[in-house]
Amino acid sequence: MDRKDVKKWVKEPGKMGHKYSFWVVYFCTGCGIIEVPPVITSRWDAERFGIIPAATPRQANLFLITGYVSLKTLRPIIRTYEQMPEPKHTIGLGSCPINGGMYWDSYNTIKHLDKYMPIDGWIAGCMPRPEAIIVAITHLWTLIDKGMAKGYVRYREQYKYYRANQEKVLGRLEWPPLFPIKELKAQNG
Amino acid sequence: MDKLKQELGLFFKDTQMDIPEADRLLVSVKKEQIISILKFLKGKGYDHLVLISCVDWFKEKEFELVYILTCYPEKGHIILKTRISRENAEFKTVIPIFKNAEPYERELHELFGINFAGHPRLTPLFLEREYKIPPFRKDFDTRKYVEEVFGPIPPVEETE
Repeated sequence: MDRKDVKKWVKEPGKMGHKYSFWVVYFCTGCGIIEVPPVITSRWDAERFGIIPAATPRQANLFLITGYVSLKTLRPIIRTYEQMPEPKHTIGLGSCPINGGMYWDSYNTIKHLDKYMPIDGWIAGCMPRPEAIIVAITHLWTLIDKGMAKGYVRYREQYKYYRANQEKVLGRLEWPPLFPIKELKAQNG
Repeated sequence: MDKLKQELGLFFKDTQMDIPEADRLLVSVKKEQIISILKFLKGKGYDHLVLISCVDWFKEKEFELVYILTCYPEKGHIILKTRISRENAEFKTVIPIFKNAEPYERELHELFGINFAGHPRLTPLFLEREYKIPPFRKDFDTRKYVEEVFGPIPPVEETE
């Protein structure tokens, strides 16, 4: 432990503990998942940084979406995200979730993932190197320190916007709204 | 392959045949003949239907169905091609001959809008949404569709 960090540990022990123990859901949507096995095994060994694959989304607090998202996978992605306990963070890996990437004119692939769920950070590239995942996590630490990685708060507050976008693409959703929409109408005006 | 070509020429008239390379036989037939020719080839040992595919010839207003058969002992491939009309896209199913044709025909029904008469279930296979024009047809405008459904794509300025 760094001596400079002692103040932070004393001040906000819960936040620091959360920050250095990421339990990750790797969602294998596309080609990006091929970068993950070297990261979590002995070559790059992400466990040094406290990054461990989680068994279920209900025990995880970091969500990594690796690769393009087709309409059919968007549905389980949203369901997985909504199952995760707060505080939770999301990272999009590769250029396809950012703006469609090479699927920019595809009829069945969504273009901007941040319209449908909040994203805390992007890793650009096609494909990014495995080190990029670890670099992204260190950036996420800085964001958490500054209190800027508030994607889950944004999801709660702007739920009406996200839900409307999800229903626009997917049609009728089978599950009820995660947060009440009526109260938010008054808040958002 | 030459022997089979001669036999096919004897039994089925008006077929165009070509051997582009070793162990490949390219056969273009009329659409009425396809069922009988598939039965004939299955009897000859070509009992594995590898794939059914489709080509959209937009200017000629025709769909070209491609059946690929293979025979493991002889290691040969037969590529059967037939043309059907594009506006009234209907064809007979080949499930009574090859059972594994079912998912291929469902796929063609979904992506090209071809109706296979006699198919037990032509339900959606891959797609999540319903499309007015099936998305693999040449007149499906992907860019317009993407702008309508997923929102506009912001232009990218190129800098040097």
